[in-house]
Amino acid sequence: MSDTNKTTTAKTHIAEMASNVPVSSRRDFLKKGVQYTAGIATAVTTGGALSGNLPPEVPNWSKSLGAGVLTKPYGMPSSFEKNVIRRTVPWLTADRISSISMSPLQDLKGIITPNGLFFERYHSGIPDIDPVQHRLMIHGLVENPLILDMDDLARLPSESVINFLECPANGGMEWRGPQMEALQFTHGMISCCEWTGVRLSTLLDEVGVKPEGKWILAEGADGSGMSRSIPLEKALDDALVVYAQNGERLRPEQGYPIRLFNPGWEGNTSVKWLRRLEIGDKPWHHREETSKYTDLMPDGRARRFSYEQEANSVITSPCPENPWKTKGVYQIEGLAWSGRGKIKHVDISVDGGVTWRPASLNGLVLSKSFTRFSLPFKWNGAPALLQSRAIDETGYVQPTLSQLRDIRGMNSIYHKNAIHTWQLQTDGKVKNVQLK
Amino acid sequence: MYNLNKFFIPLAVFLLVTFSSFAIAEKIGHYGVGKTASEQQIKGWDIDIRPDGKGLPKGQGSVTQGEPLYEAKCASCHGSFGEGQGRWPILAGGEDSLTEERPEKTVGSFWPYASTLWDYINRAMPYTAPKSLTPDEVYAISAYVLYLNEIVEDDFVLTDSNLASVKMPNEENFYIDDRPDSTNTRCMKNCKNPADIEVVQPLAGITPEQEKAPVKEKAKSTSSLSELAIQGKATYQSSCFVCHSSGVAGAPKVSDKDDWNKRIEKGFDQVVTHAIDGYSGNTGIMPPKGGNLSLSDEQVTNAVHYMLEAK
Repeated sequence: MSDTNKTTTAKTHIAEMASNVPVSSRRDFLKKGVQYTAGIATAVTTGGALSGNLPPEVPNWSKSLGAGVLTKPYGMPSSFEKNVIRRTVPWLTADRISSISMSPLQDLKGIITPNGLFFERYHSGIPDIDPVQHRLMIHGLVENPLILDMDDLARLPSESVINFLECPANGGMEWRGPQMEALQFTHGMISCCEWTGVRLSTLLDEVGVKPEGKWILAEGADGSGMSRSIPLEKALDDALVVYAQNGERLRPEQGYPIRLFNPGWEGNTSVKWLRRLEIGDKPWHHREETSKYTDLMPDGRARRFSYEQEANSVITSPCPENPWKTKGVYQIEGLAWSGRGKIKHVDISVDGGVTWRPASLNGLVLSKSFTRFSLPFKWNGAPALLQSRAIDETGYVQPTLSQLRDIRGMNSIYHKNAIHTWQLQTDGKVKNVQLK
Repeated sequence: MYNLNKFFIPLAVFLLVTFSSFAIAEKIGHYGVGKTASEQQIKGWDIDIRPDGKGLPKGQGSVTQGEPLYEAKCASCHGSFGEGQGRWPILAGGEDSLTEERPEKTVGSFWPYASTLWDYINRAMPYTAPKSLTPDEVYAISAYVLYLNEIVEDDFVLTDSNLASVKMPNEENFYIDDRPDSTNTRCMKNCKNPADIEVVQPLAGITPEQEKAPVKEKAKSTSSLSELAIQGKATYQSSCFVCHSSGVAGAPKVSDKDDWNKRIEKGFDQVVTHAIDGYSGNTGIMPPKGGNLSLSDEQVTNAVHYMLEAK
């Protein structure tokens, strides 16, 4: 195939896709040739100069000088990656100050989420905190109540862990039926990064918890004073007070200068902008553990303190944002995670769960972390119902949606970790569907 | 040589002392960082309340006192009867709805403890001015919300000594997480009959577009703004933005100049008076100073200038 033909094909493809875009944005879409799929974007964004940069021609960028050091003192992704961004579903919340945005899982590689793409969740917006004036107070049922500044925390032994952090509402829009035609919106309320900080148990040793101390109230310094009751066992197990993510200080979105971090637990317990830890003998039953973040069951009763994020997985390629374009060999790829430990197996089905084949786990397989899986697949153009099923080291098998609904009904909002189904169509496009 | 030895001996002793103190620090696992928190410091930050009433400050507030406070500070988002405006939370009603197809989880129908209401209003409300209420105001507004839910009578006075005895209807219906609750197995072959598979298609047209970056609000040029409007911008962003960017509770949106022009026909001073003292009428509800009473009249006036001039 000549280059000219390739260009035509690509343009035709873009035009086809543009026909699916509402008229209002179609002109913009065509004009800019905005990235829809990576391969095509390269062809179109370069427009008329396309052939000039491809073999046998020598590309323009090979015949000139590029930008020098410190052009961007804080580096940013290539301008061709401008579509790799967090996004929100505007009708979910009343405004953007108390709201959520999702990570673009469809574009991420490996297991680390870059800090600028970490999903966001605020209850009163992002406070702008001067670390010099920020304090962590630890008091209550302790021998020696303390106030620590950020330098004090830096003097204590630190640890780094790679763990995911997931909002328990991840997937919550899909309890009643498939709604979101995009991976970013069905599963994007999760991110994974390296966290660095001090073990909470180290801090508790400093204050000396009295024998009757069984619970800890964690409270944020934001307007909402976000607060959650945490059992002492978690504090003594693996909870951290973290000040860094992926090698740099926490982003303001993630709790700068410090946040609590409870590995494997629902994200809101990892209270951001942490200002206070109070040790008590009972839980506090605050708003974010009664009115919200409790799971309403079909009998009208509700689960509380449902902290753990159970094993879950999703196929990230193909997905609605990453369609397949031609027949041939592909890797079915995806992400799996469990709040109870390591991922042990991931199985993949292409026939809606009739038969399953084990996928290989790739790269690091860490406890309470994203785990990558893949399975080579030769696609002959036939439609398929793609599913992934995670099994963690406790033996827990990710449930089907029917199994979850049979127990929990459709109104529990949180903790929907059901096997997800993508419908691969003959044209290679992918739809979000559910199986009865 | 002699002199050199004399120098070495004290150095060796010094090193010995230093190393041994390192060793002690590692052994006891106690680092001695931070400063002891004084009672006064703790008192300033220790705001949490428990169901048994622990943590409540002395004070009281009646349903009658709560009504005007609620109207001024809460109703613009939550509605005069707790019915909720737009997507802001519904506070009242929903009795016996928890097993229905569309449950309404309100303070009365769902919340297990009255202390949660007091604690949350005190720490996080009003939305635009958290931690601005006095304890008595929190008691009064809590009493009024309980009254809206028919949990207390209209002559009820909520106090630090009776809050823990207010019984919420849904208290008994919460239980501790008992997951894992599902029991899938790792079946590999013939796991179901292919003929039984029914595919449910997604709802069309509700997924936000992803093709391009979300349109950023155009950076509002401040060059055309008057001096007063420039001064009012920060106040707008901190205290007015929530309602006046979205139009909640009938608030004129900054971008809707027609709406503003209608209001300004009655005179700039009238608009400012409503902004400072509050307004409630057919066109909507304006809490005094947007609910943030720590603002000066001048700050509110400047914010009005900003909203009128900003494009």
